[in-house]
Amino acid sequence: MGELRIAVQSLKMSVQARMQYRVDTLVASIAVFVRESANIIVIYLALLKFDAINGWNVNEMLFLFSILFLTYAVVVSLFADLRDFSRMIREGRFDRLLVRPRGLLLQLILNNADVIASVGHGTLGILLFLLSAGRVGIEWNPVTILYYLCAIIGGVLMQGGIFIICSALSFYFVETGSIRSIFYWDMRRFAGYPISIYNKLIQTLLMYVVPFAFVNYFPAQFFLRKPDMAGYNEAYIYIAPLVGVFVYLLAYLFWRVSVRRYYSTGN
Amino acid sequence: MRAYLEIAVRKFQDKMAYRLDFFMGIVNTAITIVVYLCIYRALYAGASEVDGITYRMVATNFVITLGLSNAFGYNEMFLQDKVHDGSITNEFLKPVSFTLRLLAENVGEGAFKLIFHFLPALLFTLLHTRLCPPKSALHLLAMLGSVALGYLILWLLSFIIQTWSFWLFSVWGIITIKNVLVSILAGTLLPMWFMPAALRRVIACTPFESIYFTPVRIYLGELDGAQLLSGVAVQTAWIAVLGLAAWIFWRRGVKKLVVQGG
Repeated sequence: MGELRIAVQSLKMSVQARMQYRVDTLVASIAVFVRESANIIVIYLALLKFDAINGWNVNEMLFLFSILFLTYAVVVSLFADLRDFSRMIREGRFDRLLVRPRGLLLQLILNNADVIASVGHGTLGILLFLLSAGRVGIEWNPVTILYYLCAIIGGVLMQGGIFIICSALSFYFVETGSIRSIFYWDMRRFAGYPISIYNKLIQTLLMYVVPFAFVNYFPAQFFLRKPDMAGYNEAYIYIAPLVGVFVYLLAYLFWRVSVRRYYSTGN
Repeated sequence: MRAYLEIAVRKFQDKMAYRLDFFMGIVNTAITIVVYLCIYRALYAGASEVDGITYRMVATNFVITLGLSNAFGYNEMFLQDKVHDGSITNEFLKPVSFTLRLLAENVGEGAFKLIFHFLPALLFTLLHTRLCPPKSALHLLAMLGSVALGYLILWLLSFIIQTWSFWLFSVWGIITIKNVLVSILAGTLLPMWFMPAALRRVIACTPFESIYFTPVRIYLGELDGAQLLSGVAVQTAWIAVLGLAAWIFWRRGVKKLVVQGG
């Protein structure tokens, strides 16, 4: 229970720290919201002209996007330190955690939340969900609600796992920004759209290398059953939440092995 | 003029020192191209043309605008940082105009990105997608001139907002919003042809159409003869209007500037 208290306390501190600059925080959150909306506005305008993208209409596209934003909002409130881990090592702030009586990964997750990104992405995610969920014919019952929650948790774990793996690589290489950029940010750009629009190579990357397809595409298919699902194994829909758990466990093991190699950058 | 050319060249060489940035820039550009070409292809769903616009024209529009928007990107927080740490005062002591020096640096960086990020990404695209050739050598030449004018429009928009850092604590939010407006309304992500008619009419009254779309239409031959000249005239008019606004903001900002300590 001590851990939970620390988590709440540290989230409160992150929010309070940001609230020192109220206006700046508000403007920055709005800016993040607007920046992330750009792709969505574009796809919305495009679907006013064209009817669908590979059979997905505008509401279904918004639903697909909403999962990406909702999960990311949770990811940055937990994994912000791991996202910016190489900077943390460079500035020597990681050493501070080594002398505290709690697990390293736990401290990294519970410390610091990126409040601005979380508010910006979260608001957008909720807005998209409210706009689309009622119009794509989802019947909400205990089973679908349970699946939805599991899919969100799985999506958070998957992305958290990728951040942990990229962070662990910092123990081997000095600069890991480009690895993170390709394996997280670029893959995430692909994941906004139904993966069936891409060629085989990109689809394989999104399913088996950085499994973003299991964050939003397959979970969305559980509810929507679009015809393009015919190209994939039906079971993928049901194992989607488990993929997140699997990636996270893999990341955890890799972290445990790698962290032993840590030498401080000195002071 | 020699001095500013020298500044632009320096910035260009500066950028060459970061090889990793260079590699990442190519990967990023190539991935953006792939994502959007896949989206357009899925939207076209096998149709040979929509409203008289072929897939090849859309792909050409996208690759050109993306290349230009890449080249036009630079550190827009430069002035704000200088104001915050007070080093802006050093700039006034130098025997070159700060504004022109900034423009020269940005052009140098743009030239670097055009050659080392955009060209490789373009070659990569040509491996799997056929693009439209320019209508004629003359159109290509006219387009290059129009690109320079479009660059100035975008640069002035950015500069105007940067000067607001004399008054505001942070212009980051406004710059981000400006960039989103440009990426949507200048037709970077969704070609201008497919904008809803009402929105298109609004855009026609703003500088956004003159940034990328005029050069692209000249390249494709959609603007010809008198239309070409009027397109370029509109671009020039926007430069005059924005240039005046930028000059006023800059003068007022500099007068207001108070730097504490030394």
